[in-house]
Amino acid sequence: MPETRRVVITGLGAVSSVGIGADAFAAAIRGGRNGTAEITSFDASGFPYRMAGEVRGFAPREILRRIDPDRWGRSGQLAAAASRLALEDSGLEPEAVSHGRSGVIMGTTSGEATVSSVLGEQWVSGRMKEFSSRVVAQAPASQISAAVGAELGLGGDTLTVPTACSASNYALGHAFDLVRTGEADLMFAGGADAVNRFTHAGFHALGALAPDVCRPFDKDRAGIITGEGGVSLLLEPLDSAVARGARVYAEILGYGVNCDAKHMVHPDPGSIAACIRDAHASAGITPDQVDYVCAHGTGTPTNDATEVQAVREVFGERVPPISSIKSMIGHTMGAASGFGAVVCCKALHDGFLPPTANVGTVDPALGPDLDVVPGRGRDAAPRIVQNHGFAFGGNNVITILGRPA
Amino acid sequence: MTVLATGPGTAERPALPAAVPLAITSAGVVSAAGLGLESLGGVLDSGGIGHSAPVGDDADDYPPLGVRSVEGFRLRDHVGRKGTRNLDRLTGFGLVAAKLALASAPAGAATDRTGVVVTTSTGSTQSLMDLAGDTLLQERPYLVNPSRFPNTVLNCCAGQIAIWNGLRGANVTLAAGQASGMNAFRHARMVLSLGRADRLVVGGVEELSAPLAWGWHVSGTLAEGTPIGEGAAAFVVTTSEAARAGGAGIAAEVLGVEVGFHPASRGDRAVAVAEHVRRALDRSGVAPGDVTEVSPGSTGLVGVERAERRGISLALGGLPPVRDVTRAVGQCYSTAGAMQVAGLLAAWRGDPADRPRLALVTAVGHDGNIGALVLREGGGA
Repeated sequence: MPETRRVVITGLGAVSSVGIGADAFAAAIRGGRNGTAEITSFDASGFPYRMAGEVRGFAPREILRRIDPDRWGRSGQLAAAASRLALEDSGLEPEAVSHGRSGVIMGTTSGEATVSSVLGEQWVSGRMKEFSSRVVAQAPASQISAAVGAELGLGGDTLTVPTACSASNYALGHAFDLVRTGEADLMFAGGADAVNRFTHAGFHALGALAPDVCRPFDKDRAGIITGEGGVSLLLEPLDSAVARGARVYAEILGYGVNCDAKHMVHPDPGSIAACIRDAHASAGITPDQVDYVCAHGTGTPTNDATEVQAVREVFGERVPPISSIKSMIGHTMGAASGFGAVVCCKALHDGFLPPTANVGTVDPALGPDLDVVPGRGRDAAPRIVQNHGFAFGGNNVITILGRPA
Repeated sequence: MTVLATGPGTAERPALPAAVPLAITSAGVVSAAGLGLESLGGVLDSGGIGHSAPVGDDADDYPPLGVRSVEGFRLRDHVGRKGTRNLDRLTGFGLVAAKLALASAPAGAATDRTGVVVTTSTGSTQSLMDLAGDTLLQERPYLVNPSRFPNTVLNCCAGQIAIWNGLRGANVTLAAGQASGMNAFRHARMVLSLGRADRLVVGGVEELSAPLAWGWHVSGTLAEGTPIGEGAAAFVVTTSEAARAGGAGIAAEVLGVEVGFHPASRGDRAVAVAEHVRRALDRSGVAPGDVTEVSPGSTGLVGVERAERRGISLALGGLPPVRDVTRAVGQCYSTAGAMQVAGLLAAWRGDPADRPRLALVTAVGHDGNIGALVLREGGGA
């Protein structure tokens, strides 16, 4: 095992349905504000359930400095904007990231789905001759990280991780490994996805959509609300962060990753419990040290029951407070665990526990004394937090973040 | 808050240590040349080409474009009928390539310590178009097939490889365009050298369809006559140290792998390619003159093919013999790197040499992705 360095998070960027910029995002989450509403980005009139967490106020030209948004898909725009915001938040000079050991890892579920939607509509209506080279060039999932690289002038690893709904956590983990081993000196990690007809239709067909709001852990929870956004975290070695007097939000202590290898869409409690143990071992901590769990918490009956079962299996009698920000921003797919990581950083740095909104009665079937931090955020001083991401394909990734000592 | 730059640029940063060598202990390939390394080797050896007409229900809808397609592929012929009804062609390619690779892999690593690394571009274009048809043309936009929707999620193939083979280690799907293969091996090195898994199935998969071919056709990125391709290549990979300790036969070793990003707006890409090649060689402990052959990945791509070859020449002081797979199996984009490596393994197998050969495998994409990988022929068992 090679010698490694400690890695910290010093910049946060969020483009979300509840706010643009990490401060606005975190303040809204702490306040328990709901960012979901009737869909406007595509004609959803034929759908019985029409709610989504869309980023309404996103004007990419107001944030992006180098790339022309018209040349990139919406996921790429969201990723690049979030990363630009993370860079600004870090206090680094823009030139400081323009070298061969700065890079980006971006997670996604559906890639450039709004681009696929345009091409798909042209194709199925027999208008393939209307395919435009500009749109076709935006379609590969790799363009999401390329948008970030082009916007910030990055020269190193530039990689998209389309590992569905745990992808941001995987990106964060891989970026952590690149920085700790010295392969990279600065990494942006996060994710992006865009609300689109295909994803909405697919989750409807699976019976996973909620009719009105997302109520994780509630006895009446009915499913997810599709969401979107871009999120980015800047990672650097602790030493360089300290040397430049940077604000350090959190240290990445470790992460766990595994695969259910059982079913494409149904989660497996034993596998998730093993992933939690793997994450704890990687971080060198024991369960009693965890002060908060940022849940995958999709709000489907199956996910929340499975997730709580796995958490109980590892934590036993003392289950830490566990909440789901998907109750407010919906399921932002490949960005979801990235938003979780940002709110974890803010929780560690500012001293609070993020809430679960829309909870009436916690589902008694989830067991006794489950603290889901209902309603609004709670003042607290968490030292170590755990961020969950689970995905289609049985891809589980859990990151562990700590308040810098 | 203090605002300072982080320090010097790459040139002044300390050199990175030698790369931990990885061993490819077995390989599986599905390509226009057929199934297995031997089929690919046969086509490459004869200077021939793989199947060169579109296949499938939409074969008549292709634009006028050269193709290399996998003929007569039926997943159930390889894995049995059970559980295959809702799987798409792309996942089928991946499952068969992984099966071939795992079948010839040495016994050893536990399934819960074996992971999967798959590269993709958009996942299955055909599945996406099927979903588009369902949600746009049916009476109700939500009447899509719930059993087929997961096919449109980009990690479907990696997830299915895990399910079919019971592989519970780290499971990831990666996309870095033309340089995806190099990124996959670089990622594999990180996972294996940090002990996050003991063994990985590393590969790439692409699937042709009429809409994808139209995408290539309008893109303006293909030089005239360049065929587009499909298929999958998968490799069972451990650290070389683990392979030797276990007495496993080594088909080839992956030494240095360097990746980076350099869009055209930043100046001469050949210079950037040369830098990546030099770094990869340095970290392999290999001199430019030791390279016996090169496998460039951007053959037939307008604007970058020349930059790639010029960059290689700059770094090596000339262009060694080129072993190109594009003519045989087509330009496979995110799977090009895996096909390049498979092509070298296939060619080496069929033509034993006195001493291990050393190949440079490269990639340059229009988007700015660059990769350079050093592959050393293994000593066999």
